[in-house]
Amino acid sequence: MTPRWRYWFAGALFLAVVIAAIYLPILRRHIRQAAKLQQRSEEQARRELTQPTVINPSDPRVKAKLYWASGADDGTLSAVSVELPLSNDPVLRAKQVLNTLLAGPVDTELRTVPPDAALLAFYLLPDGTAIADFSEALATSIPSGIESEQLAVDSITKTLEANVPKVRRLKILIHGQEMETLAGHLDLSQAFLVNANAAPGSRAAATPQPTAAGPALTPPAAPVKLAAPAAKP
Amino acid sequence: MVLDPAHGGTDLGARGTGGIHESDIVLEFAAQVRTALEAQGFQVVQTRQGNANPSFDDRSAMANAQRGSIFVTLHIASTGVPGTARVYVMNDLASAADATGLIPWDRAQAPFVSLSRKLGDQVSALIAQRFKGSPAAAQTASVRQLRTTAAPAIAVEISSVTVEDRAQIDHMAPGIADAIARGAAAFRPTYVVPANPGERP
Repeated sequence: MTPRWRYWFAGALFLAVVIAAIYLPILRRHIRQAAKLQQRSEEQARRELTQPTVINPSDPRVKAKLYWASGADDGTLSAVSVELPLSNDPVLRAKQVLNTLLAGPVDTELRTVPPDAALLAFYLLPDGTAIADFSEALATSIPSGIESEQLAVDSITKTLEANVPKVRRLKILIHGQEMETLAGHLDLSQAFLVNANAAPGSRAAATPQPTAAGPALTPPAAPVKLAAPAAKP
Repeated sequence: MVLDPAHGGTDLGARGTGGIHESDIVLEFAAQVRTALEAQGFQVVQTRQGNANPSFDDRSAMANAQRGSIFVTLHIASTGVPGTARVYVMNDLASAADATGLIPWDRAQAPFVSLSRKLGDQVSALIAQRFKGSPAAAQTASVRQLRTTAAPAIAVEISSVTVEDRAQIDHMAPGIADAIARGAAAFRPTYVVPANPGERP
């Protein structure tokens, strides 16, 4: 290489270093700003999703019945009367009572659902089937066991039965998913009976409903008939 | 008799302090229950012997494949008064009609609910005699393991895994085993076994 080309090459390298020294801090600043914006968006989305339904003071105040543990440590519930402004709309009303239930009783020992559980969504189908979508904490933070899991579900269904007459049965989802069990024991694949006497609704619910015509959330599996004893169970 | 120590493998079930796991304790309980059942003349099949974790359906299949079987699943709770135990039977299930007369798998327990209740009440009464504070009758719960079992089926849940000393649970094993075995023995004469596996009682 001739000396002249060497000078040109060194000059180009020096220029590249100078440009990088100026541009890289600017690039780093842009990346940090973009990351902060994304974090704010995610946090905002999470907050909106878990935002409890606002109690509207103009709603009529009624004595709502909420079911928490009785304190006898025998798996029984007790009804507690709480005066709340409750909407006449069944979906809003259900959200209001369930959020109050999730907020917990004054005596935290009587809790039936974990303190970090949140109601993500609630839908009511025209046939009275309600779908309540809870955060993962309902499944992961609840003490594992038949008694505790059944108590949590009973607490939710009895509270709905007492305050939202249009709810006939309740299907529980966890973070939008159908689960086989709540925390290893209680069957979540079926809907729980809430109020057998509930009259089917005559209009669509106010909040978005699943587009499926019927209450089924997943394609029904063909019933598996019990075969004659097989070689391997 | 199909005996089901719940959980297993990576599914430890309820966990207490000091490394107490439901899946370990129920396996040890099952050994004593098995001995008591065999003393009453039952042939016992266990859904797991070691640290395997068969699925709910696989466990039910073991009972469903045995003509005239009775199914007992053992659990340890995270709650409840330590030193007590409860017996659970499935909530009422709507029986699904089937032209062939066989039982749909996902509601296999439906035709057996009243038999399960009879078995559950008998075992529960014996447990209540031995462990003060335990309910004298079976309670209903939507227990996943029971739903797909086409046989009289109960879940026995012992309290609790949160005890500080594991011996407090272990000392319950002989009494639980005896109650299950005697309850099943008292129930057996009243159970009219269907002619073929999978048929309604």
